[in-house]
Amino acid sequence: MSESAMAVVKPEMKSYIWLQTADGSIQQVEEEVAMFCPMICREILQTGMGSSKNYAISLPQRVNPAILGLILDYCRFHQVPGRSNKERKTFDEKFIRMDTKKLCELTSAADSLQLKPLVDLTSRALARIIEGKTPEEIRETFHLPDDLTEEEKLEPLRNITDDPRIRLLNRLYARKRKELREREKLKNVEIEERVDDRSVDDLLSFINGGDGDSKAVKTNKNKKKNRRRKDQQKDSSSTTNENGNHDKIEELDALPSCCQNNEFNQILGASPSRTVKSQDSAAAMYSSKIEFDDADIYDDLDPAMKEELDREVEDFARRLNSDWPERVQEILSLGQERNLVTVLTGNGSSPRFTKQVLIGGSSLPVGVQR
Amino acid sequence: MLRMASTFPEDVLEHVFSFIQCHQDRNSISMVCKSWYEIERWCRKRVFVGNCYAVSPQIVIRRFPDVRSVELKGKPHFADFSLVPDGWGGYVYPWILAMASAYPLLEEIRLKRMVVTDESLELISKSFKNFKVLVLMTCEGFSTDGLAAIAANCRHLKVLDLRESDVEDLNGHWLSHFPDTYTSLVSLNIACLVSEVSVSALERLVDRCPNLRTLRLNRPVPLDRHANLLRRAPQLVEFGAGCYTADLRSEVFSSLTGAFTSCTELKSLSGFWDVVPAYLPSVYPTCSQLTSLNLSYATIQCDDLTKLVSQCHNLQKLWVLDFIEDSGLEAVAVTCKDLRELRVFPSEPYGLEPNVSLTEQGLVSVSEGCPKLQSVLYFCRQMTNAALVTIARNRPNMTRFRLCILEPWTPDYVTGQALDVGFGAIVEYCKDLQRFSLSGLLTDRCFEYIGTYGKKLEMLSVAFAGESDLGLHHVLSGCDSLRKLEIRDCPFGDKALLANAAKLETMRSLWMSSCSVSFGACKLLAQKFPQLNVEVIDERDPPNTRPESCPVERLYIYRSVAGRRLDMPGFVWTMDGDAPLRLT
Repeated sequence: MSESAMAVVKPEMKSYIWLQTADGSIQQVEEEVAMFCPMICREILQTGMGSSKNYAISLPQRVNPAILGLILDYCRFHQVPGRSNKERKTFDEKFIRMDTKKLCELTSAADSLQLKPLVDLTSRALARIIEGKTPEEIRETFHLPDDLTEEEKLEPLRNITDDPRIRLLNRLYARKRKELREREKLKNVEIEERVDDRSVDDLLSFINGGDGDSKAVKTNKNKKKNRRRKDQQKDSSSTTNENGNHDKIEELDALPSCCQNNEFNQILGASPSRTVKSQDSAAAMYSSKIEFDDADIYDDLDPAMKEELDREVEDFARRLNSDWPERVQEILSLGQERNLVTVLTGNGSSPRFTKQVLIGGSSLPVGVQR
Repeated sequence: MLRMASTFPEDVLEHVFSFIQCHQDRNSISMVCKSWYEIERWCRKRVFVGNCYAVSPQIVIRRFPDVRSVELKGKPHFADFSLVPDGWGGYVYPWILAMASAYPLLEEIRLKRMVVTDESLELISKSFKNFKVLVLMTCEGFSTDGLAAIAANCRHLKVLDLRESDVEDLNGHWLSHFPDTYTSLVSLNIACLVSEVSVSALERLVDRCPNLRTLRLNRPVPLDRHANLLRRAPQLVEFGAGCYTADLRSEVFSSLTGAFTSCTELKSLSGFWDVVPAYLPSVYPTCSQLTSLNLSYATIQCDDLTKLVSQCHNLQKLWVLDFIEDSGLEAVAVTCKDLRELRVFPSEPYGLEPNVSLTEQGLVSVSEGCPKLQSVLYFCRQMTNAALVTIARNRPNMTRFRLCILEPWTPDYVTGQALDVGFGAIVEYCKDLQRFSLSGLLTDRCFEYIGTYGKKLEMLSVAFAGESDLGLHHVLSGCDSLRKLEIRDCPFGDKALLANAAKLETMRSLWMSSCSVSFGACKLLAQKFPQLNVEVIDERDPPNTRPESCPVERLYIYRSVAGRRLDMPGFVWTMDGDAPLRLT
């Protein structure tokens, strides 16, 4: 109770407000202090609640008794009109010194009570805690899950080209992949199956990125006719490896994604969905339309085109398959002999193979570049 | 442990993020976890793309739906030294086109070393109703017609800054396209424009824009019009003079002096082409308040320069020609105790004999006298290891150090030795060194020092240095924070590059010209690392008409998630590597 208030108000005239926190406990607070919170103020004025213990104002769930105490301390100080800016600032600076967990609770509680000055104060303090930290450090500080890599695995490939035929091909390959997966579930898994699976996945990413050969795409400024962009894509990894036997490889897919996140962020901070690099077609680059929902297009495809696309898919699959078996043998032999993760981090030999085949050479070996 | 995510509402988290604007921190935030990634991307307002080819506009737009400010960089830094042929790329148009529909509320565009066409400028002026800031640093490809479109259509424009750009001057009347109702100008920098602008139009513009803080004139603005402009804008904080030449007339002089006196907020001066020494004292009233002085175009001789800087007690940034000489720099060391940044440019870079008495001593003096000196760019003709070691010991707080000894392979002129120890000392003592440029006679030893000590080094520029691949290897394997590496005329070949190829994915870019990297190595790199764009710039015939072991002329490697670019000219070849899956 501040001195000025004491001087002005006779003791028997002082009123209290009753507040109830979510745990059921009830507190009484000087009215002028409670009124400093917009939410409480509104409750009092609109509903008349709070004047007695039985009619205590229910506070939002985010306000527990300890935090309420802090908030009331804040209100008690700041509701006094005579204070100078400097005094207020000094109080704030001292007030804000608490552990991160409490600071979070306080921010959240202040927000639920709509106490904007306190929200700003605590938010700024949290911002200062976050600044300069690495993602790992931030996670530790706030006990946040490291769930981004899984997210990337599940995030669908996004094709950003505008060309409808490319999108059709995507749908087609997605369907093909699904079919193959279904087939696998019915049979024992064999090497051949995996090969197929991989090749279609690769096709998917292959086609997603490269479109130089597809008749669908208009090539424009590419003067280098003897260089095919998509050749670069041949080794891009699959994103969704649902085959149970590919656990280790899945991990590997995850690792480079996480790392790619890092790399990419250093470019700018971009989408995690780039285990496969999506390449713009010429059309896409100069087009300003970006459509993401292509769900219906495949179904509207006329049968003749469907057939043609089917043929193209078979063709691609055949060509890929011709080179695939040896490559896959390499991966598998590596996989069976040692921990692929170790290989990836550069401790094993022939990282070349693993990179090329599994992650499309996009990996940033995790322990290496620190 | 209480999970923060479960109790912390998203909008509150967004509010916390609003206090974090630095790009690095925003990137870190986005990497913390899934929910933070999502929240962050929706509230990111400012995006910085250090290499416009590293990502596509579509990817940026898809990820950040509500951007208000974009900064893009195009050509590699060595383009400033004419090492990148015309037509290489860096076109901004695709970005503007994409953003025109995706970001109607875009307010700020900052571009560096990009090709900007009039079409782009027109599109900007018509697409973004709230457009406020246009900064074009070292850009090219546009004319005053494009500027006219900006002036005419951008009602809320605050900043038009053409810093060092190459503008086709079709006519000076573009300024008049600012409507009479337009009053929001805060910053105008037209110093790079070659031909006259209408000074009357400029005066009217300055008159009606009360918030004008920065005005940098171009060379043709005559001296006798300066005072009028200054009087119309006494609130100016930054002023760039035009040509400081006129017949000596006392009324012009006193008018100028009076005008400068009334500019009590003035902190930065620049411009001053062709200075008549007698007029220089007209700026004296501003000296004690100046924090930034850019005289890099001013042909002022040593004595006059010394008199000027001796009054600038609050100077933090000084850019000057080597006319300042060692004696002038000693005066700086005595007077400018707050100096943070010094750049000394050569007045006659191609002369064989020194035309001024500027030696290593000038830099040593400043390093001794200016405790806050952090950033140095120094052109000179001679250097010693001893001087560099002294500088390093004096200023361990140095963060940017670029020394350019004009003649390649110049040794320590006292001992005749290579300058390895000297440059090594800089990188060893200055633990926070971020940017470093080398010159003079240097062996692989120097690079060993850099690799060992340069842990915070982000950008390194090397020319005519080193002896073997070992030099490059030291840098690539040792410099943990390296982002940009540019090399010219060094005996670096395939080995170091291929051995450290994975490093390239952690960097923004690598430039190598007139080195010994073979075509075969380029192809191999591209093959192993599809995430890298390996571009060979060769103005001879296609590189595949020569043996694979043949070195390429120029090599630019950068990481990208956008794949190979499509706008390459005929002399740029992107490597695909040998593709076993050729489909023809």
